[in-house]
Amino acid sequence: MGRWEYFLKRVLLMVPIVFLGTTVTFLILRVGPIDPAAAIIGPSGDTEAYAAIRDSLGLDQPLWIQYAEFMRDLLTLQLGESWVVVRGQSVWELVGVYGPRTLWLGFWSILIPIFVGLPLGFYAGLNPNTLADYIASFGGIVWRAMPNFWLAVIFVSVLTQSDALFGFSWGDWLVETQIVTPPDLSGLWEPTQFLGALKAILPAALVLGSASMGNEMRIGRTAVLETKNANYVEMAKAKGVPGRLVVWKHMFRNALIPLVPVITGEAFLLLGGSVLVETVFAINGLGYLFFQATINGDVPLVGSLMFLFILLSVGINILQDFLYTVIDPRVGYDGGA
Amino acid sequence: MGADTDVGSGSTRTGEFREEASRPEGDRDLPLSERITRNPGPAATWAAVVAVLIAAEFGAIVSGLLSVPPWGWVGGLVPGVVEPVAALLATVAERGAELPTITSRSVIDNTGYQTPSGWEGTTLGLSPAVAWALRVAVIYTYSFTWLLVGWWGYTLYRRHYRIPDWTPRDDVVNRFRRHSWGLFGLTIVFAFVVMALFAPVLGPTTVDQNIENPYENRIDYYNDETGQVESIFVGEANGDTQSRGQGDNNVGPLEYDQYDRFHPFGTLPDGKDLFTFMASGARVSLLVGLTSLGIAGGFAMVFAMLTAYYKGLVDLGVVIAGDSIQAMPQLLFIILASFVLSDTWIAEVYNGGLVLAILFGITGWPALWRAVRGPALQVSEREWIDAAKSYGQRPRVTMQKHMLPYVVGYFLIYASLSLGGVIIGIAGLSFLGLGIEAPVPEWGRAVSAGQPYVATQSWHISLIPGILVVIIVTGFNALGDGVRDAIDPESDIGDGGNENVAAGGGA
Repeated sequence: MGRWEYFLKRVLLMVPIVFLGTTVTFLILRVGPIDPAAAIIGPSGDTEAYAAIRDSLGLDQPLWIQYAEFMRDLLTLQLGESWVVVRGQSVWELVGVYGPRTLWLGFWSILIPIFVGLPLGFYAGLNPNTLADYIASFGGIVWRAMPNFWLAVIFVSVLTQSDALFGFSWGDWLVETQIVTPPDLSGLWEPTQFLGALKAILPAALVLGSASMGNEMRIGRTAVLETKNANYVEMAKAKGVPGRLVVWKHMFRNALIPLVPVITGEAFLLLGGSVLVETVFAINGLGYLFFQATINGDVPLVGSLMFLFILLSVGINILQDFLYTVIDPRVGYDGGA
Repeated sequence: MGADTDVGSGSTRTGEFREEASRPEGDRDLPLSERITRNPGPAATWAAVVAVLIAAEFGAIVSGLLSVPPWGWVGGLVPGVVEPVAALLATVAERGAELPTITSRSVIDNTGYQTPSGWEGTTLGLSPAVAWALRVAVIYTYSFTWLLVGWWGYTLYRRHYRIPDWTPRDDVVNRFRRHSWGLFGLTIVFAFVVMALFAPVLGPTTVDQNIENPYENRIDYYNDETGQVESIFVGEANGDTQSRGQGDNNVGPLEYDQYDRFHPFGTLPDGKDLFTFMASGARVSLLVGLTSLGIAGGFAMVFAMLTAYYKGLVDLGVVIAGDSIQAMPQLLFIILASFVLSDTWIAEVYNGGLVLAILFGITGWPALWRAVRGPALQVSEREWIDAAKSYGQRPRVTMQKHMLPYVVGYFLIYASLSLGGVIIGIAGLSFLGLGIEAPVPEWGRAVSAGQPYVATQSWHISLIPGILVVIIVTGFNALGDGVRDAIDPESDIGDGGNENVAAGGGA
């Protein structure tokens, strides 16, 4: 099977996945015991208004009609309006407000671990079985085992009181920022604004990236150890290629392939795990919005957000397959899916 | 599956067992019971030791086994027939709990008060701290004795009763025994399991007295001002032993409060004992984690067998089903589903634990299935599967006898990794106030309760639960690594895509 043919097959496979995932969401929301009309009307319990709302929402129609409308609206990207959280606000507008914060958080929590984890791993691999290697490796293992929400709690407490604890005020350092607040993402092209937004998101990004930082360190270490004695590296050294170049040109590339699933996996964790980190740091991103929509019984918002999450993860999967197809020439030859 | 497939049961003794002693040639075809009758010595010694160990804890074992099912709920399902039986079993469980055991709270009692002449009420007049530490030491000694006796039984079986001198599993076990990182993991995991099993006796006080019904229980204490022994409701005492960061409001780790109660981990913001809370929370986490793993593992193994055996469309179907589930972020899906189910009867079972277990199971199987799919496909291409097919063996039997044993080891690796993830996930949900209902201890809730006090003198409330989670998850990861290296020393599985199994959906 050709590589691109294989890739195309993977993409086609995503169609039933989106369909099935959305169907499951519908079943949970509409067939489950949740009552959206009661959530809208609140605890006052006016029967007439309740019936009117049920009627206007089409909740008394046969289930299959509701299902058809639900799927039609989502697949044509008509995400509807929020009923409870911000009543009457369209979901697209809400995503426009909350989405960028999550994207900003996600971008840095993928980037920072790569630039910290990989070099540390390379260093550990180049000096195997030394004290530094043990410290780095063990640190990576422990760092990876830390629950994100707990780490976030610790970060928030220590940073908000850094002045009293260390005599160093994180909030006033470089640019003045709040610690528990959504980052201000306006005017990112101005250096101070950019720095402020970056600094505001940094602790949260470190927490959310903690798992993959450990993984990336391990991958970097393994890649160096595997290639250190490979013929082509010996050859390059014998040719007189400088050490730094050997590392970056010959070893770094080998670390790339196992890095792909870690990065895409990280993106998955981001979608799910951002709830807790966003709640602790009060970032008010998509995860936080989803959580609020759920506990308030905001059915259309929950459904639309879940649909967007499904689209996103399917998109990440396609991106992963695309990267594999480009980077790894072995993909698709022996039929391994 | 017998002891042969029990690859994780390695322990710390040294020595090889290849040189075989008393295994006469004539025993080759006898069943195990016959082999034991012919050479009863080792088995009898072992059984005697086991009997002593069981006798030491008889009451606790009976009540422990019988009190796991929720009898009230089971009885309610079929009122006529099952109810009396369920009620009877519940009574037996309660009676069993009253039998004295070496780890009973009453045997080494750490509750008492200090009068000017010394400690009253505690065993031998020890200080509560010493009495408590002693009981913990007895519990852990007892448990680790079981571990050693189990290993000893396996070696006896291997030396005296097993027919073949050597099986490939021996190599796996030997490799694990030399894997110090894996043994470290096993020790941590075992200690955690013991903590969960013995939760009611490990704490310096009980969940019922201290956490769930503090205003139905009284304790005695010595009042310095009046010089009298007085009694007070636990709830009122808790009100005076809060840990809230400021001023005198703090009872830290390894401290006594003013009612002479010892708190190994300090107290919660509402004055309850953190250690008791944690031990009981360990039980909840482990129970939910194992149940969810059972559900996910069941799906994963059945699907792995089916997809490896039939391939083609079946494989494609499971790929689509699995990917659809994984396309929904696990934690968000669980938040949504547990909220939707929160008012139904199923949310009542185990205070919401069952719902969590089912949800983690349903969302967890695709990852486990992916992990064992490769090995299952590999084994399905071996000659012996072809042979079994051409002899007309039924597919089910082929899968069970010839494919499953090969895959079980790989399953254990990921089971170990993902259990840590589930524990983090449950803690994350209860941190948000979802999942396990409020008075029942869950670790995430302690982190949440201590959140405002992290940078104060009451740091222990949030930090200790988090550190315990880190240790336990590291333990599960180490155990997984050890099992992996033992089963397949040359493999590179676990690097890359499946690493995130251990991350609990990002919690």
